[in-house]
Amino acid sequence: MEITDKKRILIVDDSFYMRTMLKNMLLDAGYDVVGEAPDGKTALQMAREKVPDLVTLDVILPDNTGLDVLKGIKQDNPDMKVVIVSAVGQEVIMTEAAEYGALHYIIKPFSEDKVLEALSNAFKEEE
Amino acid sequence: MKGREQEYREIFIAEALEYYDALSRHISDLEKAPQDEQVLAEIFRLLHNLKANAKAIGFITIADVSHKLETAFGMIRNKELNFSDEVVTVLFDGIDMLGELITSIDSPKEVEPSPALLRNLDIIINSLSDNSAELSKVQKYYNSKNLSLSDLIYIQIKKLDHLLNLVGELIIDRDRIFSISKELDNDDLKNVSAHLYRITEELQYSVMDARLVNVGSLFNKFPRIVRDIAVAESKEINLDIIGQDIQIDRNILQIITDSLLHLMRNAISHGIEKADVRKKAKKSPQGNITLSAQNDRDTVILRLIDDGKGIDQQEVKRAIVQRGFLSADAVNDLRETEVLSYLFEPGFSLAKEVTEVSGRGVGLDVVKNAIDSIGGRIRVDSKKGEGTTFTLFLPTSIAVKGALLCQVEENFYAIPLMHTDSVVALPTAELHEVGDLLVADINSETITIVSLKELFNTDISEYSVRKNDLESDVQNIIIVTYNNRKLGLIVDKLLRQQDIVIKALSRPVNTIEIYAGVTLLGSGKVCLVLDVAAITRYFIARR
Repeated sequence: MEITDKKRILIVDDSFYMRTMLKNMLLDAGYDVVGEAPDGKTALQMAREKVPDLVTLDVILPDNTGLDVLKGIKQDNPDMKVVIVSAVGQEVIMTEAAEYGALHYIIKPFSEDKVLEALSNAFKEEE
Repeated sequence: MKGREQEYREIFIAEALEYYDALSRHISDLEKAPQDEQVLAEIFRLLHNLKANAKAIGFITIADVSHKLETAFGMIRNKELNFSDEVVTVLFDGIDMLGELITSIDSPKEVEPSPALLRNLDIIINSLSDNSAELSKVQKYYNSKNLSLSDLIYIQIKKLDHLLNLVGELIIDRDRIFSISKELDNDDLKNVSAHLYRITEELQYSVMDARLVNVGSLFNKFPRIVRDIAVAESKEINLDIIGQDIQIDRNILQIITDSLLHLMRNAISHGIEKADVRKKAKKSPQGNITLSAQNDRDTVILRLIDDGKGIDQQEVKRAIVQRGFLSADAVNDLRETEVLSYLFEPGFSLAKEVTEVSGRGVGLDVVKNAIDSIGGRIRVDSKKGEGTTFTLFLPTSIAVKGALLCQVEENFYAIPLMHTDSVVALPTAELHEVGDLLVADINSETITIVSLKELFNTDISEYSVRKNDLESDVQNIIIVTYNNRKLGLIVDKLLRQQDIVIKALSRPVNTIEIYAGVTLLGSGKVCLVLDVAAITRYFIARR
């Protein structure tokens, strides 16, 4: 297992089912999942403590809206990548999310290919 | 192992049922306060998740109904739809239907949503104004209201601890009844007792099973930890993790967590060399560490293997003498495993020079104490230049331990199997007096032999024995091991192997250092459990 090169991901989603699926996909693809947050408060706290390379962010959360979390993350750490994970019907939010610096989206229900593509695109910008 | 698909399915259902319960609760709240935006937002979120999850797993009908309801609640939120009595009825029906669909996933009878209800939902969604006139009366979806609860529960470990204690008490009584039924030779009692025996055994294993967790729940934290320490130490580490699926009692895992972390930190800081040093030694620049778990009957074996610089035996020997543990002559008589076992002595590993030269850090005595406390064992193997392996032998469960029962005079004693090495019968003539103690050569090893009878009859600090004190010509000796060191215990009679439930000694007896606890035998006799760690430690120090 190559640890040093692994990209570290934080998963934010209020559904345990979604988190589990996403986590398994990411782990299988060789990412390191450093945390799972079910709500906005935990998400912000984990983003601060664990400083992941990338956050997958659900936009509808029990406490804050996903956009508040996005703003919070970017305020703390403008370089942290955020990929929005959202269901069909929330396209409006994506435009707004782009304004705060989230450039990649995954539409639920997602396929493994789409997820991995979105993440690798997000990381490509680095280079 | 369950397949991933099956696991997803179970998680989906459990979570969907939670959502359904919450939805039922919230919609009742909403009826009382139709404008409550927080409640509306929560209902919207729950339906949204249910829709997304159902789509992902392929339950199209659930996804479809959730979507319609989500849309309706979205409209209520945006004030495009009034929360009128008619609308409320349809939404209630819709949520009930969701519940029915979710609970029927695993039932053989396929449930189809009522077409009238679907149509009513469509009418609500598609008309921007109140069109209640068009709503047809829905045949009540539920014939009888079933209440469903989730299949998964969270439980406090303290409750499981209590349950396990009770099972322990029960087993003691069971053994007692079993024994009485034999004494009385009553067939009815024997039958009942045999049945009771089976049931309690199954109960015991079920409770033990409920406490098991995957070793992976601890192991999976290590990639991150290793990465952080490696970065701090400017070392490159490749970590392999094996056997995450092995199961162990949750409390045991909890107790060894710090120890494992400590050993890992030591392996990286003091074991693995820097890349340039490794290259010179013709090793890969990346250090390799393996964390593995495996089962061996009732024992879980954890190993932490590194391919670092290893431990220098000569340096450890020098430190043993310097620290005043042994004389220079005595040190040379030690076997390799014995030398390394000194690393676990309190006050030994504290030596800073030892830390640096031997490649091992401080605090191994603390690690050892933690493992002793749960009746486990630890050993270290190392080759200079090639690496070090720490092996932890842990009981799968804390409650029940395999033990060897023996008799000394009129009393019964138990020795946990974790510490027994072998049993020998030795002619008294082969025992030799060395100072106040007896020793014997067994399999070309010189082992201190302790007469339990003498030990039980005197204070441990005044223990001394001559060959003449031993009565018979042949001695039954149980060889025990602790920290790579052996000790022979003379007993009057070997009885049998048995699973025992160890209870802690209560005051004032709990200060007696040679007993780890007490158990009751089926005969109703009290049986003291020997603290092999304490006894061995004492006699090794005296020799």
